[in-house]
Amino acid sequence: APCQPLKVEILDAKTREKLCFLDKVEPQATIAEIKNLFTKTHPQWYPARQSLRLDPKGKSLKDEDVLQKLPVGTTATLYFRDLGAQISWVTVFLTEYAGPLFIYLLFYFRVPFIYGHKYDFTSSRHTVVHLACICHSFHYIKRLLETLFVHRFSHGTMPLRNIFKNCTYYWGFAAWMAYYINHPLYTPPTYGAQQVKLALAIFVICQLGNFSIHMALRDLRPAGSKTRKIPYPTKNPFTWLFLLVSCPNYTYEVGSWIGFAIMTQCLPVALFSLVGFTQMTIWAKGKHRSYLKEFRDYPPLRMPIIPFLL
Amino acid sequence: MAAAAATAASKGNGGGGGRAGAGEASSSRKKKGPGPLATAYLVIYNVVMTAGWLVIAVGLVRAYLAKGSYHSLYYSIEKPLKFFQTGALLEILHCAIGIVPSSVVLTSFQVMSRVFLIWAVTHSVKEVQSEDSVLLFVIAWTITEIIRYSFYTFSLLNHLPYLIKWARYTLFIVLYPMGVSGELLTIYAALPFVRQAGLYSISLPNKYNFSFDYYAFLILIMISYIPIFPQLYFHMIHQRRKILSHTEEHKKFE
Repeated sequence: APCQPLKVEILDAKTREKLCFLDKVEPQATIAEIKNLFTKTHPQWYPARQSLRLDPKGKSLKDEDVLQKLPVGTTATLYFRDLGAQISWVTVFLTEYAGPLFIYLLFYFRVPFIYGHKYDFTSSRHTVVHLACICHSFHYIKRLLETLFVHRFSHGTMPLRNIFKNCTYYWGFAAWMAYYINHPLYTPPTYGAQQVKLALAIFVICQLGNFSIHMALRDLRPAGSKTRKIPYPTKNPFTWLFLLVSCPNYTYEVGSWIGFAIMTQCLPVALFSLVGFTQMTIWAKGKHRSYLKEFRDYPPLRMPIIPFLL
Repeated sequence: MAAAAATAASKGNGGGGGRAGAGEASSSRKKKGPGPLATAYLVIYNVVMTAGWLVIAVGLVRAYLAKGSYHSLYYSIEKPLKFFQTGALLEILHCAIGIVPSSVVLTSFQVMSRVFLIWAVTHSVKEVQSEDSVLLFVIAWTITEIIRYSFYTFSLLNHLPYLIKWARYTLFIVLYPMGVSGELLTIYAALPFVRQAGLYSISLPNKYNFSFDYYAFLILIMISYIPIFPQLYFHMIHQRRKILSHTEEHKKFE
């Protein structure tokens, strides 16, 4: 293998200004290593916020790409774009999930200044209200634990402004739902205990299902790698939904919230489920499309999120 | 705000790439433009809308001359106002199917805010229809829309008289604040009647465990004008500098 060191020049993608010139770069160097070198001369642009590409309007190069394997001469010209301040996915997830957990409890315990003063720190007389609190809290604790111990993220970071957007969404809806469910004038479900039992069953099954899918996806990808493989059903019956959809984790998630909506018979919960469903459908369709593009032998029966339909 | 947004956001056909910040692959700036059939349809649409708002303008003038005062003129143009303003919902469709290069989100926002004022405020709260503030925004919208739709018509036909371009990017300076004032005063006037009648409101307890206070909602709408209006206004001022100075340079070479 040729060991001729290469030269790398980095230009601003918009102004074409020469930002950095690296003499003697190993041909085996990865883009990640080049990003580290670039940070040395421009410390404000840490690697996570660098987008380097061969063409100013082209796609970003991946961190794992090797310099030698790219179509460059002895001097590689790379174009730089600033992705803006970045924040790690883990940080975003933890913040956006811890909020609802905490906020819901504020309403559940009827902390002062939410409902009238005569209700401060009182407790609801409806069983379903206590059950709903357990389910909602369980859901977000599960999410927090999965973020810490289960998920394997493809990207380390996302743009900083996303945390404000995401937290507003999660925290806002959590407060809105919790306000009504824990309200002194809350009306329990029309069909009573039967409705609650059915809803609880749906909720629990979907939570188990969602968790099973997360574990199956984790097992597809070894620690520290960014490989992508087609997910298949395992021995766990909850994963058999992979036969019919590309993103059963989203299917189960929607199911959980539908269950919660039936359990609480609360319109804001139904609206939250609808908005979540819309967003997850968009993500599922995108994921489905990338699977189809990447894998020739992708199972044709599968739909993105709803079996046979969507 | 509805008045402001209408002129600010949709640059529409040919007259500029529109505020398609999110989701337009602007890497290859080849403006494809609508095909001949779409262009013909859009010309017809814009001509019809121009005519419609002219009808409203004429209606206002005639009613003023007949009555001898400018009070309660709303009633004389109520129907065409509702018809043509509601018809503007089609513009959302135009963006969605791609024959107009503006952003669907922005266009929806501006059209919906107009439709909201017409139906959810003025139509719904009858006591407000005789207010002078209604005339204020109706006049602002009428002049704005006549200019805007003729601007689009001429742009589509690739023959835009400088006067129309000038009018579009200059009159807003007065028409925006006028329209916004009319809108805010109207919403404000509607408040006590909304509170009294409990209009569009639902309170607890009910079996869907939901509540909505239309009075509070209207107040939130009024507050939202504070961040939104200046942004739209200064965007138009910025556009004005860009577009009118550009034309001045071109004219020098004619």
